[in-house]
Amino acid sequence: MDLLLGSIAAGIVLGMVIALVALGLTIIFGVMEIVNFAHGEFLMVGMYTGLLTAQATGTDPIFTLPVAAIVGFLLGVICYAGFIKFLIRGPMVAQLLGTFGLMLFLRNLALLIFGSSDRTVHHGILVGKSFDIGMGIILPATKAAAAGLSVIAFLAVWLLMNRTKIGKALTATALNAQAARYMGIPTEKMNALAWGIGGGSVTVAGALIVNFWAVNPFMGLLFTMIAFTVVALGGFGSVPGAFFAGLVVGLIMEIPGFWDFFTYTFDWPWMADVPMTSLKYMWIYVAYFVITVIRPRGLFGWKH
Amino acid sequence: METLKNAVDFSDFPRIDLVIAGAVAFLFLIFPLFSASSFAMATMIQFFMFSLYGMGWNTIGGYGGQVDLGKAQYVGIGAYTTAVMLLRWDIPFWVSMPVGMGIAVIWSFIIGYPLFRLKGHYFAIATIATSLVLKDLFTVWSFVGAARGLEISPITYPPPDYMRLIFKEDIYYYYLILGFFFLGLLYMNWFRKSRLGFQLRCIKDNEDMARSLGINVHWAKIKTYAIATAFVSMVGSFHVCYIKVIEPVDIMSLDLSILIALMAMLGGAGSLWGPIIGAGVLIPLRSYLKEWLGAAAGLVGIDLIFYALIIMIVSAFEPRGIWGIVEKVRRRKRR
Amino acid sequence: MAFLEVQNLTKTFGGLRANDSISFSLEREELIGLIGPNGAGKTTLFNCICGHHPVTSGRIIFDGQDVTALKAHAMARLGIGRTFQVYAATGDLTVLEKVMVGCFLHTRSRSKARACAEEILGDLKLFDLSDYLVSELPVAAQKRVVMAMALGTQPRLLLLDEVAAGLNTPEIEEIMASIRHVNKDRGVTVILIEHVMEMVMKVSERIIVLDYGAKIAEGPPEVIAKDSKVIKAYLGERYAKEHGTIDHRSSINDQNQIR
Repeated sequence: MDLLLGSIAAGIVLGMVIALVALGLTIIFGVMEIVNFAHGEFLMVGMYTGLLTAQATGTDPIFTLPVAAIVGFLLGVICYAGFIKFLIRGPMVAQLLGTFGLMLFLRNLALLIFGSSDRTVHHGILVGKSFDIGMGIILPATKAAAAGLSVIAFLAVWLLMNRTKIGKALTATALNAQAARYMGIPTEKMNALAWGIGGGSVTVAGALIVNFWAVNPFMGLLFTMIAFTVVALGGFGSVPGAFFAGLVVGLIMEIPGFWDFFTYTFDWPWMADVPMTSLKYMWIYVAYFVITVIRPRGLFGWKH
Repeated sequence: METLKNAVDFSDFPRIDLVIAGAVAFLFLIFPLFSASSFAMATMIQFFMFSLYGMGWNTIGGYGGQVDLGKAQYVGIGAYTTAVMLLRWDIPFWVSMPVGMGIAVIWSFIIGYPLFRLKGHYFAIATIATSLVLKDLFTVWSFVGAARGLEISPITYPPPDYMRLIFKEDIYYYYLILGFFFLGLLYMNWFRKSRLGFQLRCIKDNEDMARSLGINVHWAKIKTYAIATAFVSMVGSFHVCYIKVIEPVDIMSLDLSILIALMAMLGGAGSLWGPIIGAGVLIPLRSYLKEWLGAAAGLVGIDLIFYALIIMIVSAFEPRGIWGIVEKVRRRKRR
Repeated sequence: MAFLEVQNLTKTFGGLRANDSISFSLEREELIGLIGPNGAGKTTLFNCICGHHPVTSGRIIFDGQDVTALKAHAMARLGIGRTFQVYAATGDLTVLEKVMVGCFLHTRSRSKARACAEEILGDLKLFDLSDYLVSELPVAAQKRVVMAMALGTQPRLLLLDEVAAGLNTPEIEEIMASIRHVNKDRGVTVILIEHVMEMVMKVSERIIVLDYGAKIAEGPPEVIAKDSKVIKAYLGERYAKEHGTIDHRSSINDQNQIR
């Protein structure tokens, strides 16, 4: 039972962070209908930023979140103004491959600068500590803090989108860019802003994740696929959808934990032979495929 | 009979194209006489393989307009079928290649049916997802060597083994893949003029219009996907005989899928020469960048940075590719 | 037995009744006009007949066969062709190639498809435009190319959706001649959605009027033009009351000019 509750708790905690990872993707898609393949690489940038600033200042990456947010915002805006702006004039094939090029670029730039080895945060006020929240569930402090801060960041972006003038202008651009332009909304700036917010939120997520996840130049694709799955489940363009779908995907990522539980409970020998840990991420891809085929609009999708 | 005539009939291209194509084909034939290094030879073989991959992709992705980013799974199916059959039962290439194609086509029908209910981005990402699922499964499947993959290189090389395609010198592989290349080109020339080719181009244009003209859009896409699959799987079988070592992370990686799509797009998706031009530009560039900048100067990853920049520039400024530019200039001249 | 029989066809989108229990029938080689104000459900009716939309309720019988549940491509195979109101002329197929796509429905042979397409293009006097892209042509020629594409499938029933929209008078004369030719000489039954009244009144043998999704009138052009319900639908109740019945040439045409 402990095993089961532990997996559920771990899944939900991870899911909260993942929701923040996917938030940027869904905002960008909602506003511009472009799918950013480099999303996982943006996360990687956030992770390196968190890691390096923490190492340089000797503090915990959690305290350098503002730096990550600024870096991410600038990254998003620069990518939009320097590249995406030209890309969106072309057909969808070009958009897909173009953002894929951006992904390759960022990935190999990281490879050139940082090398291919895994890097982790070794010290910090949270690393190595954990809470026992009862019922045998032990939560690492890094994950708990990341989850909490993710939810706060998520709420902040949600408030920005729903309670401010800028957020309303963004939503208007998303619903109908041409009409928004006639209303005097600078849609071009709104697009750049969407990329800024998207980039900023995902790099913050990166700086949170780096506390408990090793970073290397090749880890972006996995998170891109995770983010796609979240966004497909929550509905492309839906912010609340991204949050709940993030939790679901967090649980999907804990499937090996559940598998252990069932193996332990039922004690069938063949279950132990399944290399579930190696297939950990496969369920993400399976989930994406099944979700889009069965319900293309996702749970909360308002646009397709 | 008419099929054969259509396959060898290139007369709808301007004469200048045919002269250039003929000259290039001749150069391909005599290339081994001049090739100074085995490196150049290896690059050429790569070029032919990727041209063929690109032609396969071009059927569904170029003529059909369906952005398929999961072709690596079929490279993997072809390559693994050949390698496993060779290692376990000593079955020669010429048997295992069609078997691999059959398996790949069956798999393509299974996933193609739900896949083509999706459109646009959903479709493109779903093709990636299916490819990654297969890759993960192969990574844990011990029958096919799991994560370590398979190696088919013999300890000592026998005299040229035409049945198993085990050669010591690259020149055998060169002429073999050149043969495949010419056959593939003829097939593509037939395909673009075939009923399915026309229907696909109409589907790419406007699906509702295609339906009103009596085209079963879903089925036409699935059929074409199977053709693309067979193409890619065939070359995958050759690929493993040539490189001799396969690992799932390599042969089924997303990078390979993207490379295939990218070449066709750079050259000009939906045109006969597009994939060949694209491969002709990208493969030598990749090989030499890696050689000069990567290995020689010790800058790991810099080759791919250049590569990524090319992708970005092409997709932002000339999405119709090199052949698109040529056609644009020609149309302008004619008017 | 009628050639095409539509029985109580209803199509709803959510709460909106786009087609409300429409019934009509037509005979072989008739030429019928389908008119109605914007949003009356004309194009929806076409989409339902052609199988582009699933029908909510009702039946469609074509040439003695119940075709209600058939998909669009199966309908085309049975011999129902159509054109679209909005057709973005994109793509890299030339005019000849576009018409060949339709011709490929009944043959696998490229040379036969080509011969068929050339015959149709010649018949519609489009032969000189064979090698152009559709996007390079003027609107009037594009409209006739779209007709030629539909004819490629050898339809027995052809549904034309606003083929004259946006054309000037000589161009309308030209396309009217083409439609008459297709109907009389090729023996194709035609249903025509049109806003250009002078054309629809001249060319149709019978006219069906839709308003708010329902059929409000049916009959020969001269009767329809005097029908008080039709005038109400087009010009509003007040206008109809003040002026009584009016000659169609002045009234409906005027309304059309405003549009």
